[in-house]
Amino acid sequence: MVLKFYASQFVAAGNGIVALALAEKQAAFEFVPIDMAAKEHKTEEYIAMNPFAQVPAINDDGFAMYESRAICRYLDERFAGQGATLVPKGMEERAVVEQAISVESMAFAPPLAKVVMELVFKVRRGLAPDRALADEGMKEISNILDVYEVILAKHRYLAGDDFTLADLVHYAYAPMLAENGVDIMTVKERPNVARWWNELMSRPTWIKLKAEGMKSTV
Amino acid sequence: MAILKLHGGKQATCTRRVATVLHELQVPFELIEVDVANGAHKSPEYLKIQPFGQIPYIDDDGFLLYETRAICRYIAAKYPKYGLIPTEPKANALFEQAASVELTNFDPSASKAGLQLWIRKMGYPFPTDDKIIADNLETLEKKLDAYEAILSKQRYLAGETITLADIFHLPYGVFVTYAGSESDSVMNRASRPNVARWYKELISRPSWLAYLDGVTTTTAY
Repeated sequence: MVLKFYASQFVAAGNGIVALALAEKQAAFEFVPIDMAAKEHKTEEYIAMNPFAQVPAINDDGFAMYESRAICRYLDERFAGQGATLVPKGMEERAVVEQAISVESMAFAPPLAKVVMELVFKVRRGLAPDRALADEGMKEISNILDVYEVILAKHRYLAGDDFTLADLVHYAYAPMLAENGVDIMTVKERPNVARWWNELMSRPTWIKLKAEGMKSTV
Repeated sequence: MAILKLHGGKQATCTRRVATVLHELQVPFELIEVDVANGAHKSPEYLKIQPFGQIPYIDDDGFLLYETRAICRYIAAKYPKYGLIPTEPKANALFEQAASVELTNFDPSASKAGLQLWIRKMGYPFPTDDKIIADNLETLEKKLDAYEAILSKQRYLAGETITLADIFHLPYGVFVTYAGSESDSVMNRASRPNVARWYKELISRPSWLAYLDGVTTTTAY
């Protein structure tokens, strides 16, 4: 039975990174849309798949799991030998990828969530953004990107010269910034970050995913 | 081969997390205290090693690594006999699921409330906020209802054996209980008997008990 991918329609957040990982691994899958506006993620049936009532989730021929970062790692193993290698096997190389993944979760994602809430989600819903909170978030993101600038001067991607899961996790929310007029990822004061981000945004798998949206391969 | 060096703080939260895992894996280590009070972690020399200016980091015979969870994963991979990260693909995936649950569903609220409660308990001169503590504990209560559902079916978060995913809940899993009492706290409620069972197991582990007064250099087990 082909892998089932339960997610919302929007190519963003955990849904987006798993969709991208599926593309990177050239995996065959069936997309099962979960309509969050209709609270399909809160049904008893869905909660049986994910007790946290969050998207996405997968079911790989009876093996069910949730948590997008975990799913990406599983896909890398499951479809090993095809597409990109998201996590290298060598112990030290792997540790450096884990280090970068941890930085994204702990340092980059929280202030980004603040900015996206204020400058993207609220604005889309016609609500007034909290400018102070948005500025605070922008300052924090900028501080982290100053460190990324140092790291990316040494190698092409965050954990070395190859694209890994550490880079992939950044597709969750940061692309929304430029789409909504916030250009922090490509400012000229941080040329290495700009180079890296532009490469990520030009990655063929990402461009195809954004153009075609969530859809089954079968 | 040189002893593993853990650069951090004796009482620092993340240093304690790493020490707990080193103890679980019976890895000898030397604690090298970083003078955070005097800004040693922000010096140019320090930033060359840890560009975010944070503690801890490890020096494993010349291999430098920062980020607590990355450090713990590296050590667990180095000493696979303890099974703290299962290697069989599906068991590994379930471990990753549980590790991600800790990261995204536990840590955000537990660390915010926990850090403040720990500051108060230790009497450190940093400001704390009743509302931040209360709001985050409220979020945590809801998350732990999902934990109760998971732990009612299996002994630990990733299955029947303990993994890094469970251990990652220390020390913040302990700090958030400072808002309650020994018999009734967010991690130990009559309404969530399975979470309480799992929590009590975690805090009875020698690796947690070893550093109750703070992390110390450990050369023998």
